[in-house]
Amino acid sequence: MMAELDLSPITRIEGHLDFKINVENGVVTDAKAIAALFRGFEIILKGRDPLDALVITPRICGVCPTSHNDASARALDDALNASIPENGYLLRSILLGVENLMSHAAHTYVLFGPDLANKKYEKHEAYPELAKRFAPLTGTSYKGAVFARIKLDEIFAIFGGKHPHTTFVPGGSPARPQVSDITKALSIFMQVQDFIENTTLGCSIERWLENKSLKDVQKWLEEDEKHANSDLGLFIRYGPELGLHKLGKGPGNFLSYGVYAQADGKNWLPAGFYDGEHHSLDQTKIEEHIKYSWYTGYEGGRHPSEGVTEPYYEEGEKYSWAKCPRYDGKPVEVGPLARMIIDKDPLVLDLAKEYGPCVYTRVLARLHEAVRLAAKIREWLLELDPSKPFFGSYEKVKDAEGIGLTEAARGALGHWIRIRDGKIDNYQVITPTAWNVSPKDSNDVHGPIEQAVIGTKVEDENNPVEVQHVIRSYDPCIACTVHVITPRKSYRLKVV
Amino acid sequence: MVNVVWMQGATDNGCLVSFLNAQQPDVYQAIEKLGVTISYQNTINPTSGKDVIATLEKYIAGEEQLDVLIIEGAIPRGPNGTGMACFIGPRSFAQWVSELAPKANYVLAVGTCAAFGNIPAAEPNPTDATGVQWHKREFGGFLGKDFRSRAGLPVINISGCPAHPDWVVQTLVAVLLGKKVELDKYNRPRDFFGEDITVHDGCPRNEYYAFKVAAEKFGDKGCLYMNLGCAGPHTNSDCNRRLWNRQSSLTRCGIPCHGCTNPDFPEGSMPFFQRRRLVVEGWKLVPYIVGSGFMKLAKPSRLKNE
Repeated sequence: MMAELDLSPITRIEGHLDFKINVENGVVTDAKAIAALFRGFEIILKGRDPLDALVITPRICGVCPTSHNDASARALDDALNASIPENGYLLRSILLGVENLMSHAAHTYVLFGPDLANKKYEKHEAYPELAKRFAPLTGTSYKGAVFARIKLDEIFAIFGGKHPHTTFVPGGSPARPQVSDITKALSIFMQVQDFIENTTLGCSIERWLENKSLKDVQKWLEEDEKHANSDLGLFIRYGPELGLHKLGKGPGNFLSYGVYAQADGKNWLPAGFYDGEHHSLDQTKIEEHIKYSWYTGYEGGRHPSEGVTEPYYEEGEKYSWAKCPRYDGKPVEVGPLARMIIDKDPLVLDLAKEYGPCVYTRVLARLHEAVRLAAKIREWLLELDPSKPFFGSYEKVKDAEGIGLTEAARGALGHWIRIRDGKIDNYQVITPTAWNVSPKDSNDVHGPIEQAVIGTKVEDENNPVEVQHVIRSYDPCIACTVHVITPRKSYRLKVV
Repeated sequence: MVNVVWMQGATDNGCLVSFLNAQQPDVYQAIEKLGVTISYQNTINPTSGKDVIATLEKYIAGEEQLDVLIIEGAIPRGPNGTGMACFIGPRSFAQWVSELAPKANYVLAVGTCAAFGNIPAAEPNPTDATGVQWHKREFGGFLGKDFRSRAGLPVINISGCPAHPDWVVQTLVAVLLGKKVELDKYNRPRDFFGEDITVHDGCPRNEYYAFKVAAEKFGDKGCLYMNLGCAGPHTNSDCNRRLWNRQSSLTRCGIPCHGCTNPDFPEGSMPFFQRRRLVVEGWKLVPYIVGSGFMKLAKPSRLKNE
């Protein structure tokens, strides 16, 4: 018996996602991820001053704007031959790191967490505790995370002016923080650390980071009741009992552009591609397909630098405003799990070996990255040196090209700029969720989230929480996903 | 109990993210002390799918009173009048707004997208997007000039990219307590956007401005108005009085104000990093230039742009 289920709108994600599935005998046999918003973003950048991209592009996404700040500044650093002092790199990493940590906290507790209090688990022995902590709005940990988020935004504003929507500039940082700004930020950070250590971990950040394998984690769980009863301890113990390790496998290919650029030219977390083996990143292997997206103009896949975007809305085969990026022809997963795998983080590699990519692994990889990041932010804050410059220089260039690759909380983000006659001739963006939420490609191969959803067992068609677990585990951000890439000329949308 | 529905259209979700930073009152106080029930807000909604649609249908059918409708995001009317550049389940966003707005006691347009159109409505406006009751500086927008919510008010605009959480929650509390909200000529609360308030007020670089000590490049100490495109003196909002995230503001961190609360943002502020006008509207040019010359001469030696 087959049923078509319309799960639209999917809530507790960022932005507009509609979703339709076919269910046969309780198993999902087909899935359509439908990005439900189109804004036509880069069009207004064409012909503008190159620096205008610094203000416009972050407004693609109010959830991860700082990743767009970073990508646009890096693209202009590249195009305008910027020279950046060490403080400039540090300050960008602090701002992006704080935002990504905040995003992880919001995802874990506000977006994903409430599903652990779903009525499906009512009969499980852990349910009263899960509901007490993770119920939407009223959960004790949920509430703690809401206030930790506010504190992280305060740290952000000390250096960036406000969150959301600061502005980065090529050549470093426009802010010149004093020692007292840094000590204030460190003090607020201690409040966030209290939440991480008392509620999330049940131990110090340093103690958690000693765990390098699942065996270590087992030892950690047994070492102290506080560990086992922390939010993370609870999730580690009960995740498999709730079946989260059997959900949402996905394509098994992973991509990271690398992030947190340092003065030595390296990234703190490296770039790469993983398909069972580690490869270095070759951005010429990126292609975008549009067979099932509401665009027209070419067949097969194209590298973004040769892309055409002509919106073409119809009710038929096409079903999403998201384009369909592929790497070396393959659908790939991006996000914290991808970053941790490509960084060869021993704990996450062990986790992936034991459970494979799945909802359980994805959530744990995100939390583990968050803890690593928290430790790193504290280091970066201490490394800032107010006696040295924060801003270097950039040149005024008439004709140039630039690439800015970075990582948002939810994965790989790229900006490509071409400048002619001192104006923007072409600006392209490929966002993280475009990778994860992409529709089918020209070969009819499903996108990563669609693949991860297909095969899922749905116990109750009126409460398809299993499918929602899978979708939310990717932390999709649709606000980011949908925009125009490479318009050749000005146009208005046509209905055909 | 006060029912609030928060609908998102062509938006980046930034106003919701900003709203979650509210502290006076915070989201919990609003719920527990003021009786606010958020019946639908996509990013934080407990339920999903058809439960959401059923909730919204209930308000449209008039089965339950909708007290406050908050709209975040511009409203795309394209492609070709279908509105399908943005949809939520079975309806376009435009259709949801046109059915929900007449049912609401109050309609709040939160953020510059909902208030005036913002980036989605910037030329060439590929999705034919507009604000809820304004299109840039023009009254009318999506609902038209004659629209009044059930309480007899036009759409209350709270602009900003994003809107400051205080602007949203203070307006909400005023409405809930039955306080009259004085509006400016763009139907924004005067308390935050009045003619006598600019981003320039309270900027710590004001002394540099007074003595015409200009920042030459990013990271310099001087005023950001002369060379770096600061729109502070042209922009009516209280960012530098109120501060963001209880800490700072763009100009305090060396970033020029982009004028994001203005009805013609972003086009009215581009190019963002070049001075757009010598004097502010309403100032007298010749006395300003003469005065500036004297102020330069009077500059205290401790003021350096380095």
